[in-house]
Amino acid sequence: MQQQTPAKKKKVKVPRVVGGVETMVEIEVDDEGGPEWGPNDKHTLLNHRLTRVDAPVKVSGAALYTHDRRLPGMLYGRVVRSPHAHARVLRVDASAARRIPGVRAVVGATDEEVVEGSNKAAGEAAKKNRTEAGGAEAAAGGKVVLFAGQPVAAVAADTPEVAEDAVRAIRVEYEVLPHVVRAEDSMKEGAPKVTPDPNEQNVEEREKRGDAAKTEAAFAQCDVIVEAEYRTPILHHSCLETHGNVVEYRGGDAATVYASTQGTFTIPSDAAQELGLKESAVTAIVEHMGGGFGSKFGIGIEGMLACQLSKQAKAPVHLMLTRKDEFLLAGNRSGSWQKFKAGATRDGRLVALRATQYRLGGLGRGSQAGQPYIYTAANFYREVFSVHTHEDASRAMRAPGHPQANFAMESLMDELAYKLGIDPLEFRKKNLKDTAYHRQLDRGAREIGWERRNRTPGGGAGALKRGMGCAVGTWGGGGNNQCKVDVTVARDGSVTVAVGSQDLGTGTRTLTRAIVAEELGLGINEVAERIGDSRLGNANSSGGSTTSASLSPSVKDAATNARLAVAAKVAPLLGGAKPEEVKFAAGQVSAGGKTLAWKQACAALPSAGITAHGEWKSNLQASGVHGACFAEVEVDTETGHVRAVKMVQVQDVGLPLNRLAVESQINGGMIQSLGMVLYEGRVMDAQLGLQLNPGFGDYKLPGSLEIPELVPLIDDEDKREAVIGVGEAAIIPSVGALANAVFNACGVRVRELPITPDKILMGLTKGGQTA
Amino acid sequence: MADERDEGRRKKNLPHDPSRRRFLKGVGVAGAGAALAEHLLLKSEAEPTASALADASTRPVEGALNLALDVNGQRRSVSVEPRTTLLGALRHNLDPPLTGPKLVCDMGTCGACTVLMDGKPVYSCLVLAVDAAGKRLTTVEGLGSPENLSGVQKAFVEHDGLMCGFCTPGFVTTVSAYLKKNPNPTLAEVREACKGNFCRCGTYPRVFEAALAASKKT
Repeated sequence: MQQQTPAKKKKVKVPRVVGGVETMVEIEVDDEGGPEWGPNDKHTLLNHRLTRVDAPVKVSGAALYTHDRRLPGMLYGRVVRSPHAHARVLRVDASAARRIPGVRAVVGATDEEVVEGSNKAAGEAAKKNRTEAGGAEAAAGGKVVLFAGQPVAAVAADTPEVAEDAVRAIRVEYEVLPHVVRAEDSMKEGAPKVTPDPNEQNVEEREKRGDAAKTEAAFAQCDVIVEAEYRTPILHHSCLETHGNVVEYRGGDAATVYASTQGTFTIPSDAAQELGLKESAVTAIVEHMGGGFGSKFGIGIEGMLACQLSKQAKAPVHLMLTRKDEFLLAGNRSGSWQKFKAGATRDGRLVALRATQYRLGGLGRGSQAGQPYIYTAANFYREVFSVHTHEDASRAMRAPGHPQANFAMESLMDELAYKLGIDPLEFRKKNLKDTAYHRQLDRGAREIGWERRNRTPGGGAGALKRGMGCAVGTWGGGGNNQCKVDVTVARDGSVTVAVGSQDLGTGTRTLTRAIVAEELGLGINEVAERIGDSRLGNANSSGGSTTSASLSPSVKDAATNARLAVAAKVAPLLGGAKPEEVKFAAGQVSAGGKTLAWKQACAALPSAGITAHGEWKSNLQASGVHGACFAEVEVDTETGHVRAVKMVQVQDVGLPLNRLAVESQINGGMIQSLGMVLYEGRVMDAQLGLQLNPGFGDYKLPGSLEIPELVPLIDDEDKREAVIGVGEAAIIPSVGALANAVFNACGVRVRELPITPDKILMGLTKGGQTA
Repeated sequence: MADERDEGRRKKNLPHDPSRRRFLKGVGVAGAGAALAEHLLLKSEAEPTASALADASTRPVEGALNLALDVNGQRRSVSVEPRTTLLGALRHNLDPPLTGPKLVCDMGTCGACTVLMDGKPVYSCLVLAVDAAGKRLTTVEGLGSPENLSGVQKAFVEHDGLMCGFCTPGFVTTVSAYLKKNPNPTLAEVREACKGNFCRCGTYPRVFEAALAASKKT
């Protein structure tokens, strides 16, 4: 379009993978023109502390979540789960269930080709297995379940109570097959094969990278060497709103699916396939949703079953998983087992690292960032494997693979630093090239008072010992070109911004409104937003912290276009000013010394108002954030109990769209790390193949008594005038910081999470080492 | 607060134990249901027949029971099963329903279903609907509306005491009840009051701020 003039160039930072590690590099790109955010400190709404626009309905119980949908004639669905980790389903007898008054539909859901757990392939299998006429019975015969909790049938009934009765009345006969739920057992010669897929072995190689021979040779130059193994258990997302959908299909050629999902636009195609409808005939609604953390993409096995039930009953079906279902069949964060040999020189350089990394994702592949993570090692070699077990497949969970990698690598860095006798903070700086980390480490150290740390781990008098630790983390958070946004300005002055995106509790509604309000010089409550509806403009799924960086540029573009369109109509009233010269501020529109109130100006619009469209602009977003965390803990050396005292996290984020929400995200990240480091972990019975703690009574989440003083700090030294997602970044560095603080406090290096009192006490009796 | 909500579970021998743990969630609730039937049929809207009363001590309670619930200052009739929880009755059986209290764990661990029963916070998933008949019930909807928020609700908005918001009705209800009991709490007391509520997004520090801010205004 503008080929006559040479394209303007501008420098942007983009993530690049160098040596298997994502780092930021500066490149030159064409300056496309169009809107820009301007300096981060010149905004009137953005980069301020904005209360959530959806807060009033959420604090008063008026917000309608999927779980809260009530439709005329709606049935309640429930899932029948396999009680065995590995079994052949011989027979599903639903005859008794069907005789219960109020039971309206029963479907079966098993297939021997279920290899990916509950999320995708199980759904595929359920689909293959669709039993339009025969119901659950048709599912019987030779089907194999691969984890305890895998759905084998589902029912729909008039009330939740009757649906539960029906679940109990369904008789399933199984031939129990040998199972394996521990990585060590799965890796043994002659272990039961986990999946029936002949191409998939229990241990699958994922990656080999680096130079094994050079690394081995480099250990000779090292002054200290640490060999250590670190483990993290499988974790649960624990979304308070369980997975589920309300499928409204009453026969005919259209359906509406209310979904608790991170991807409004992932729902219609999945549901359409299941219902036998055209994708365009299915509407997805995600008005409010109660947490996802990476576990809610696509309609899932529960959604497929809801569709089948709705189709069979020709009535709406509300199928929200129970809490136990949620633990057993709604995905999880993969566990990890990482074996290291690492060496450093006296001057504090990480010279050699050899890593064997096992991702423990059950039926899934799991995830784990490649080591040495964000550090620079002159020589490294890593081998990465997935080890399969008879457990539900892992899914993405807030920063997939990073907290696991962070715990292991940051613990290892700490061990090297103490062995060298170097300040762990200084040792990190020596091995981090990106100076953003240096700046953040220095700020965090000042904030927490790093000089107060225990000079000798475990030193000091008394049974209660305090200590500090630190760690760093990184994430991408850039956007992509998927969001289509429309801004409508009506002649009465009302403004609506519409896009099908979803708000997971991250503040999407608020930032969408704020961008438009700022552009038009209005208050945030003078703009309404419509989101969470697949009939609106397309939007990407909320995964990888991509929502803000994908959505905001499109909203900004639409708002800019709306401003120019309004200006063009109003300009004649303002002495014929050029549209781009018309100023929009403080509820007024002005140019050439003339000023109109917003509503007066809008009266000049055509009767239908104006609608402006917005597309993604790469220059309005960026990728790559840094974070540093410091934690202080107190360890009771008589009981082994660890109390987090204070956590400080410094996080850059480019342009913080809403400081209040960004701080809340950082708080949330620190708190979820606290859970991972001290409390949470799936516990399996290896013999029975069952999870022993599938509920909040036994799977410990951080509660109000465990929350330390939290100091979330936005790193405003990051001057990028660009939006970057921060949700996932926020959970990473605090993992290593907490674990390292425990060591500094009591001198016990616990290499397996969670750090429970038994491990501390064991370590204290063994002079600092745990088994 | 959490302690109060647990009271029912400890006082196992009270005749009207609000814990449904005494009951199987199945249809047959013979033994435990007997005393209950006597109490509740009298309170329900349905006129119990003489024979039903005569049999009440020996027969299981089953089938539909019509109750009147006093919720948010309104008398609401509702048809439930004996095993229906108060939470279930509010969310599923009332028409139109009250979906502010959330179903999250269904076993008295998370607090998202907290409602006030005669002013005291209870886990409504641990209270049988029939046991709530005749009690003064307040849900989060009864504390304030989006257009007319209570002081506690306003403080949650201002201090960002919520993210996804699914735990929020429980926290708002818990904090509201606690501030009535202790209008000027310390941070430690607020933490203690909230120990029966879980949040997964990690809003705790701001819930504490909101509670302390609301206390200063009351």
